[in-house]
Amino acid sequence: MIKARSLLYRNIRNFFDSRNYLEVETPVLSPGLIPEPTIENFSTLFQNEFVGTRELYMVPSPEVFMKKIIAESQSSIYQISKCFRNSEQLGRLHNPEFTMLEYYTVGYDEKDSIGLTEQLFAETALAGCPEGLKNGFEVISMADVLKRETGLDLDELQDYRVLLKRARELGLVIDESVREGWDDTFNRIFINFVEPSLVGPRPIVITGYPRQIECLAKDEGIVKKRWELYWEGVEIANCYMEETSQAKVEDYCRREYAALSASRAASGMVIPDLDEDFCSIFGGPEGVRFPECSGVAIGLDRLLMVECKKNSIGDLILFPFSDII
Amino acid sequence: MIKAGQIDKGTALLIKGQPFICVDREFVNPGKGSAFVRLKLKSPATGQVLAETMKSQDNAEDITVEDMDFQYQYNDGEHFHFMNVETFEDMAVPMPSFPDYQFIMKEGETYRCTVYNDEILDVQVPSKVVYLVAEAEDAIKGDTVTGATKYVVTETGLKVRVPIFIKQGEKIRVNTETKEYLERVNN
Repeated sequence: MIKARSLLYRNIRNFFDSRNYLEVETPVLSPGLIPEPTIENFSTLFQNEFVGTRELYMVPSPEVFMKKIIAESQSSIYQISKCFRNSEQLGRLHNPEFTMLEYYTVGYDEKDSIGLTEQLFAETALAGCPEGLKNGFEVISMADVLKRETGLDLDELQDYRVLLKRARELGLVIDESVREGWDDTFNRIFINFVEPSLVGPRPIVITGYPRQIECLAKDEGIVKKRWELYWEGVEIANCYMEETSQAKVEDYCRREYAALSASRAASGMVIPDLDEDFCSIFGGPEGVRFPECSGVAIGLDRLLMVECKKNSIGDLILFPFSDII
Repeated sequence: MIKAGQIDKGTALLIKGQPFICVDREFVNPGKGSAFVRLKLKSPATGQVLAETMKSQDNAEDITVEDMDFQYQYNDGEHFHFMNVETFEDMAVPMPSFPDYQFIMKEGETYRCTVYNDEILDVQVPSKVVYLVAEAEDAIKGDTVTGATKYVVTETGLKVRVPIFIKQGEKIRVNTETKEYLERVNN
């Protein structure tokens, strides 16, 4: 396993270096983050006798710093880095500290990123990985796979009352007292009826995620220009055509920060500060502001797990969290 | 009430008035969104297994259970018969509740059981158990291929794939979850 990880990293670096991507390194400790209400954070204290004390956060992804580098350099970049997610449920697919490969291609949209990621998988694959990779990726839209597995029409589900009714007709028990958003109810349907079908030896790309699932991808009608990749039933990659409108990014940060603060004030979990400069990279003249680009994040522990035909990321992480606590 | 995220293997729950025991749990998160937990819940009364996927924050009705020792006595083809070792009371458990347990439980052996309302919800069979090989074919002479295996039958009737050197009357240690041979045990 030690050798497998080393070889995969070398292959990945060769892949991006030969395509003139810059490898970057960004901080793991940050004074501010992009708000994500469903990802809990680790916090720690910088302490100095003279300067005082400051709360810092372990980054849940390198996104905030990588986007600043893209605005500054106008270059395609990649990074292999550690990410930290608190309250992460320990299990076969989760470890609070994990390794992410994140790459952004300037001038690409999310469809271009499918082709690039297909090449990345093919050219970096370890010997003995699941055979299905030979046939490339299977690409299917969320609307089609939802229709196939549940008979439901994504257009029709836009009205929350219809979504809730359909979810209950499928047999899901959703308590009257539970007040949840469109995204949570949709995810119940997806996790129960769609995700179990995304198995098999060939990687599957699901495109066009519902717009109501908030993220920093561009809108396209009722969906986002976003895809996720599943391989052998494991969710491995997430891709956006990145949002570049300053107004939309500001709006996202404001709304998500409000949601995050409200839910965590009640639970007592860490409420991170917002990164103050983040929204400003989307303003200014062309050549200085964040350019049109597509970004992909890959859970490398999960990719290694599937390529090495293991059942748990604990088999690939040399010092898994479950052994520590 | 407990949160679905707190449910673990062995947690006993009441679903639509029926007791269920969690036999498998896996956390799943959609790429963006709240955490979910995928559960397999078994009804001891019928052996029926339910697959439930809940949000980790959903409420579930847990029940208080007791662990008690029972001696497994025999099965009559429909029920396993257990005796409470403290009260000597007999308790019958429908066999379909624990498919294949007839091949891993030993008559006369005492097992820790999870009990709710005078009903056995779970029999805690150790994960590794030593069995006597009751039936074994002789290895075919000249068959020296490394890794060659054959089937034997234990005193409980469990069919296990073992290395060819295992003989009738010997003891073997078996993983009772996977029913796989682990090692030969010397007397």
